Amino acid sequence: MVRRTSQIFSPWVIQDIHAKSDLGRYRIRGFSSFQDVTHFDDLTFLSTGLTRFPLEGYKEQCNTQTVIGSLNAKNPLILDTPIYITGMSYGALSVNAKTALGKAASLVGTASCTGDGGMLPSERKASNKLIYQVLPSRYGFNPHHLKKAQAIEIVVGQGAKPGTGGMLMGIKVLDNISEMRDLPKGIDQRSPARHPDWLGPDDLAMKIEQLREATNWTVPIHVKLGACRVSDDVKLAAKAGADAIVVDSMLAGTGASSEILLDHSGIPTVPAIVLAREALREIGLNGKVHLIASGGIRSGADAAKALALGADAVAIGLSALIALNCNREIPGSNFMKEMGVPAGECSHCHTGKCPVGIATQDENLTKRLDPDEGAERVANFLNAMTMEMSLLTRSLGKGDVHSLEPEDLAALTIEASAMAQVPLVGTNKIFGQS
Amino acid sequence: MVSIDAAQLSTRELNIKLNALVEDNQDVKIINPRARHNVVVGILKKCQITVEGSLGYYCASLLDGPTVCIEGNSGWALGENLMNGVIRLSKDAGASVGASMRGGEIFVGRNAGARAGISMKGGTLIIKGNAGFLTGFMMQKGTIIVCGDVGDAVGDSMYEGVIYVGGKITSLGNDAKIANPTQTELSVIDKKLKKNNIAGSYKFKKIISEKKLYHFDKLERLEKSAI
Ligand SMILES: Cc1cc2nc3c(=O)[nH]c(=O)nc-3n(C[C@H](O)[C@H](O)[C@H](O)COP(=O)(O)O)c2cc1C
Ligand code: SF4
Repeated sequence: MVRRTSQIFSPWVIQDIHAKSDLGRYRIRGFSSFQDVTHFDDLTFLSTGLTRFPLEGYKEQCNTQTVIGSLNAKNPLILDTPIYITGMSYGALSVNAKTALGKAASLVGTASCTGDGGMLPSERKASNKLIYQVLPSRYGFNPHHLKKAQAIEIVVGQGAKPGTGGMLMGIKVLDNISEMRDLPKGIDQRSPARHPDWLGPDDLAMKIEQLREATNWTVPIHVKLGACRVSDDVKLAAKAGADAIVVDSMLAGTGASSEILLDHSGIPTVPAIVLAREALREIGLNGKVHLIASGGIRSGADAAKALALGADAVAIGLSALIALNCNREIPGSNFMKEMGVPAGECSHCHTGKCPVGIATQDENLTKRLDPDEGAERVANFLNAMTMEMSLLTRSLGKGDVHSLEPEDLAALTIEASAMAQVPLVGTNKIFGQS
Repeated sequence: MVSIDAAQLSTRELNIKLNALVEDNQDVKIINPRARHNVVVGILKKCQITVEGSLGYYCASLLDGPTVCIEGNSGWALGENLMNGVIRLSKDAGASVGASMRGGEIFVGRNAGARAGISMKGGTLIIKGNAGFLTGFMMQKGTIIVCGDVGDAVGDSMYEGVIYVGGKITSLGNDAKIANPTQTELSVIDKKLKKNNIAGSYKFKKIISEKKLYHFDKLERLEKSAI
């Protein structure tokens, strides 16, 4: 017998209503959005044929070096690959995870980034190029650490929870975290959504000048935005003096967010990049103020497509954690028993019970992640991604990943054509253009 | 004491000059600051700086160690993220004075704008006059003493830390409550006021967190099993 079920009251919706009627509050989880939206898989590269010729793989050079923040900073970030590790807090992540990510970044000549809760000494030691976040919470914020950073990132919003602050459940607010953040032990931390010392874009300009003065105009200042009203926000951030703008999409990962914001706010990565690029072009700052894209970047193909659409670099979170063994059964772990789901379906970073020692503050669980082995895995993954980018770039007949452009792409769906502003395959038509 | 006349200098030039003199262990006086922003920023050693005139946003911010005396008013975020040291302002402070400060002492000689001591994580903020709305908003630790009145929503969403108010409280913020200060607390306040040449008898009320916002009241199955 074939049974029909409701389109709108799917099994997931029914379960969600049950859960909320048990709980009496919104649901919280980690990982990223479960929405099925247009993404990089809906775009394809138009590699060479007779109209242009390819470069030889492995033999001919393909440049991946990336410079970020050269507009005002005496020492811009110079990375060997356009991929770096995004800000993930010590608190959401274990000390071993943070150390491994910093080490991995150094191994491949790229940067890593601190996160809510301050700069962890072992991360500072491990990461040669460390970006220091200035968040609304200012947990653990320290001008001594600021002066040691290679770049500064003012966080206005995150793609996984735009318009709200960070979140860390009490299970993770243990001794060290409560001390670093000046918070009572065991509280469910809900960070502020607004900065304590500035509100609008005019104030932001002064905040940027303050950070520049405090660091002698040496390091770049990034502004991170949750991708919502991208066009206006990017223009305002650029006018306020940002050297680089991070556009973090609705597909971005998180250690904990309300599910409703994960799934029902923000826009996908593809249109976010295009809108940001066009906004910078309109105010004459395209190529001067650098654009960094994040949210759901999983491979060299995703990164290459992001660059082709207009990003200068990409930042990765979840895929770096997956390289660290997130959602993989390892000796000692038992996902079904510990998380109630099989490896591959875990999104429970907020519980602090991570079976692979990544998203936890539990000492015993943390030991399941060896920072050196983890660093090697993440470095391998970053190298693999960079090689994938070069491979695609050479196949397009180009010798520099930064030469990728929208013209190299076609869309596989009408939606992707409209969002990426590239033609639909098999047509010359770019949807959404008047 | 070495004087810097700020009138003809850009903010960059002024701070470079100031930093060099501080490095050279000189006491510095800045004249003609003309309410500019971002003056005396990011100095991380003990030193004595006097400013004759008013300052704009973010002045005497991101400091660890200096004693800064300002004869005038200040814009927003005076003493932001102070780690240690002393800031004395003779007149009025704009919004967010002492935002996210973690130590040291800030003294405001007259009134302070909105959000005084917002996200404060330590140290002491003393306001001789009145303070605006959301004083001590999301304050985490430290002490705020307001000798005059406070505006609406004082102590909203505060975690720890204490706010003492000598005058009228317009309204309490979310999760804030009034408690009775102890004799020991009152004598500590008294000492701090005397040290700042504040005479007068105040009937201080103490504001602390009710701690009702510390937790989500219900947990999901997995969170329960994790406790
Ligand atoms: C475990 C975890 C913790 C995070 N912590 C922070 C944080 O402290 N500050 C921040 O700006 N973003 C934080 N983020 C978001 C990331 O910086 C970034 O925006 C996101 O991970 C990018 O998307 P991706 O994970 O799909 O690559 C966190 C993400 C994860 C997965
Ligand atoms: S395995 Fe760990 S890091 Fe991965 S989703 Fe689960 S809790 Fe989060």
